Amino acid sequence: MISRSALTRGSQLALRSQGAAKLAQRGFAAVASPKASYEPATVAGIKVASRDDQGPTTHLAVVAKAGTRYEPLPGLTVGLEAFTFKNTKKRSALRIVREAELLGGQLAAYHTREALVLQASFLREDLPYFTELLAEVITQTRYTTHEFHEEVESVIHAKQAKIGADAIALDAAHSVAFHTGLGAPLYPTPSTPIASYLNENSVAQYADAVYNRADIAVVADGASEGALSKWIEPFFKELPSQSPDPLDSAASKYRGGEVRIPKTGSSALVIAFPGSALGASQPETAVLIGLLGGESGIKWSPGFTILSKATAANPGAHAKATNYAYSDAGLLTIEITGSASVVRKVAEESIKALKSVVDGSVSKEDLVKAIAKAKFDLLSGSETAGVGLVHAGANLIHGGKPLQVLETIKALESVTAEKFKTAAKALLDGKASVGAVGDLHVLPFAEDLGLRV
Amino acid sequence: MSLAPFISKRPWLVKMLQPLAQMYVNQAGYRKMGLRTDDLISEENETVLKALSRLPPRESYDRIYRIRRAQQLSMQQKILPKAEWTKPEEDVEYLGPILREVEAEEKERAALDTLTIAKKH
Repeated sequence: MISRSALTRGSQLALRSQGAAKLAQRGFAAVASPKASYEPATVAGIKVASRDDQGPTTHLAVVAKAGTRYEPLPGLTVGLEAFTFKNTKKRSALRIVREAELLGGQLAAYHTREALVLQASFLREDLPYFTELLAEVITQTRYTTHEFHEEVESVIHAKQAKIGADAIALDAAHSVAFHTGLGAPLYPTPSTPIASYLNENSVAQYADAVYNRADIAVVADGASEGALSKWIEPFFKELPSQSPDPLDSAASKYRGGEVRIPKTGSSALVIAFPGSALGASQPETAVLIGLLGGESGIKWSPGFTILSKATAANPGAHAKATNYAYSDAGLLTIEITGSASVVRKVAEESIKALKSVVDGSVSKEDLVKAIAKAKFDLLSGSETAGVGLVHAGANLIHGGKPLQVLETIKALESVTAEKFKTAAKALLDGKASVGAVGDLHVLPFAEDLGLRV
Repeated sequence: MSLAPFISKRPWLVKMLQPLAQMYVNQAGYRKMGLRTDDLISEENETVLKALSRLPPRESYDRIYRIRRAQQLSMQQKILPKAEWTKPEEDVEYLGPILREVEAEEKERAALDTLTIAKKH
């Protein structure tokens, strides 16, 4: 193994002490203002977005268009994810881990339905090191056979064993809603036949197809654009500008339907409607999520939201509403988990409550609360370091703009009771996607809940 | 201590000793039992076992076959017919590269796990 020269270490230490000096000079933050949005730019053909609050830490992520939506064969995305930070042509997996530990950095790899994210969080002055590392991982990983058998396979099996009824139900709802593409499971279950598709060669081929300048975005929270472009240019030099065999992806089309899967253990029910896509201006959806809610934000009180009221009456159940936003489609979901009987009750009660909203019994106060909650969720989400990274990256690789916080807030404030009711009615009148997993003897059919599928 | 690095640096010496080496290999006799040099590596340690587990399935199967055939021959006090002897061009190093990789990994792990950080402040 090539040992990293002592010279590099010295320069790193020197850089770090400089950064520490800068930190010591900083006084108190002047005025609390909403955090800036990510500023998009293009560096050497790579889409880059950054925002800089002069803080001491940086979050850097490579977001690749390699989520489960784009995988040509099932399981390739999870294989590629498990292969990140493994042996590269320059250093071993062990060395990557130990070096990151020495610099106090954190490395993570995860995927969504549309993107594969390689993320590093570290002290501000270590930007060059981690930029080099991420570039090395995407261009020079060796995808060796022995690592696949000794490390990758076991990790995938361990993660598969942890998949619960809730995840299966959500995947099921996606699959009836979108069939292929977005309908592919986020994580294949142990009974999904992936062994014949997933091996080190197919993963290496997939990596070649997805890691290129057109299909990745580099997003940084806490690094200046100047520093970022300075280091991206030399380190990402080897990245090809075009994919040798571009992956085809058809536009998503919402279909709707119902799927029921028997399973022992706890039960889960996912009721989904067409939601709002990334970058789409549909503030009603965000307000509806605020009204449906789920976990209460206030201690010792179920809160005002529909789902938290329903779960308070049925102890043991958990329910939450989410809008899963994708580049060309969205899915507004109500996820209910718990034992089969309480899941049934919560589902019935929440659909009844949703229908009463459409019939016009939503109070003005509740609407104000829902809008306030939607605003808070958006702002706190964009404020937390590192949270907006994936969102910004996903927008960039699909040719959109990063989330503009202030504009979206304005749109949220403009939602009126009338607009809100029309949007909710359109949802209930359209086709729903329902995924039921668990004790099917008890779990209701979509028709019993009064939904169209 | 081995003389091999000293010799391999000097082409003329390699040329001189090559016939001698060939003679030694032939005298050792393992080729007459259909074995390869790498089949003779003792597998009773963790490093070699790990390297063996990384062999491609086909290589692994062939290796076991050669060893079992040699055992049978040894028991019967026989050697293979001359046509079935391992030819010099067949006697390739199939385990060595993997073994060196495993050794390098172990060495690196030991070095990194006993790393001491010299603080400069």
